[in-house]
Amino acid sequence: MIVQRSPMPGFALGLGVTLTMLSIVVLIPIVALFVEGFSAGLPALWGSATSPRVAASLWLSFRLSLIAAVINLGLGLVLAWVLTRYRFPGRRILDAAVDLPFALPTAVAGIALTALYAPNGAFGSLFKEMGVKIAYTQWGILIALIFVGLPFVTRTVQPVVEEIEREVEEASATLGASRFYTIRRVILPLLMPAALTGFGLSLARAVGEYGSVIFIAGNLPFKTEIAPLLIVIKLEEYDDPAAAAIGIAMLAISFGLLLIINLVQIISRRRIGHV
Amino acid sequence: MSDTVISHVTSEPRPVRAALIGFAVLAMALLVGAPLITVFAEALTDGLPVALESLSHPEAVDAIRLTLIVAAVSVPLNAIFGIAAAWTITKFQFKGKALLLTLIDIPFSVSPVVAGLCIVLTFGANSAFGGWLVANGFPVVFALPGIILASMFVTFPFVAREIIPVMIEQGRSEEEAALTLGASGWRVFFTVTLPNIRWALLYGVLLCNARAMGEFGAVAVVSGKIRGLTATMPISIEMLYNEYQSVAAFSMAAVLALLALVTLALKTLLEWRYASQLAANRRH
Repeated sequence: MIVQRSPMPGFALGLGVTLTMLSIVVLIPIVALFVEGFSAGLPALWGSATSPRVAASLWLSFRLSLIAAVINLGLGLVLAWVLTRYRFPGRRILDAAVDLPFALPTAVAGIALTALYAPNGAFGSLFKEMGVKIAYTQWGILIALIFVGLPFVTRTVQPVVEEIEREVEEASATLGASRFYTIRRVILPLLMPAALTGFGLSLARAVGEYGSVIFIAGNLPFKTEIAPLLIVIKLEEYDDPAAAAIGIAMLAISFGLLLIINLVQIISRRRIGHV
Repeated sequence: MSDTVISHVTSEPRPVRAALIGFAVLAMALLVGAPLITVFAEALTDGLPVALESLSHPEAVDAIRLTLIVAAVSVPLNAIFGIAAAWTITKFQFKGKALLLTLIDIPFSVSPVVAGLCIVLTFGANSAFGGWLVANGFPVVFALPGIILASMFVTFPFVAREIIPVMIEQGRSEEEAALTLGASGWRVFFTVTLPNIRWALLYGVLLCNARAMGEFGAVAVVSGKIRGLTATMPISIEMLYNEYQSVAAFSMAAVLALLALVTLALKTLLEWRYASQLAANRRH
């Protein structure tokens, strides 16, 4: 039997262009990161990734990113619900504005948030009267991370809210469930897999975020120094292996977190069945 | 779906609805609206003429020109990649397709700073290849090619991700019909495929361009921040801000914020008018 070849032309050209560009721009540079990181051996890599200053920056980055992602999870669920279910003047503008943190360059967001939350800024002066310092503390970092991660959960949950059939909610109400009970036991479980995807994206974005954080952070070692900033500092000190070690550690921890989120998603999908 | 249809069993009581809407509006105003207004307010502290004056400064003009060059090179290259990848993935069956899709998505989960670091470690003067490039008079890092590569890395999946779902939905029957009628491969692409994906392609290019012009983290690592030579608009914002030239920094930031607003407006317009021709997850 003759193997039927695809009648479509351009496979070799398409695959060639794809693989060549992917290799030059993404794959070879990432391999170079691992080569540099492992060049002095695994013990050396482990040593620089767990040195006190690096460990402190990783802990700070991942801790604040997790908190920001949890806040964005709640905020995103409310925003997705309000934007798809309710009709009110200005809804479309609010909907478009959700994407602003995606569209606004991070350096712009960074200096704007700093001006806003600095002790002499519009919001910062209010907090100052209450005796709270926002800019140049971990609070400032948290606000920047909430800003950049805001759109993810909203955008992943919105299409799911649209697809929920009203009959499901009516059935629940007919069976005597209160509205709150329906939301908690029927609607939220349906939204959870998408919400977790958004949570993971928001977390990954926050962990790697640089531009919007460094202006507001204060950048004190052990206190407000995020991991990406420490990479830049190590590079400026010509300590390439240490920079590579932090980069590899960030990739490894992010990968581990995304794996856990995927597992939770699989479990929650099993519990509610496929929708 | 008007207000009258919302019954009490499938919606929340009116006060709850009002409270949720109020909360959403307030949260967006404080989190997103306030920083945006701050950019323009700070830029206009000393009036519009002063802001415009700072943008006509030679270094500012250099930064704007450099950013335009970077976008003009990296966006078309990423569009070519996106089309090639989408064509290969959607028109053919081959082993390793899922792996290829995963590899294309890598830049989404890599920190921009790590992306810049990868470029430095590959093409920097300390690496074997980078050393050879420098010796032959073609420095990549701390020069334009490095900035372009860093911008391409962070925007790499943008175009591919927008057009792949659209091309999967459209299948390949139209292209096969054109081929049967004797059209050449390129003719099929330009007269059948391209018109079918044009709005999704434009959507992807729009997002890619906004990110490429505004990228900071990855570019900060590879640029070396040489005034007039490797300082893009976002880099010059940082330099001006650190030199306490607040009005100049925010004026430059305002230009990028305007670009972001125009991008959002065009994106929303595309979503309204051509919803059926964009990827399914964009239809809301």
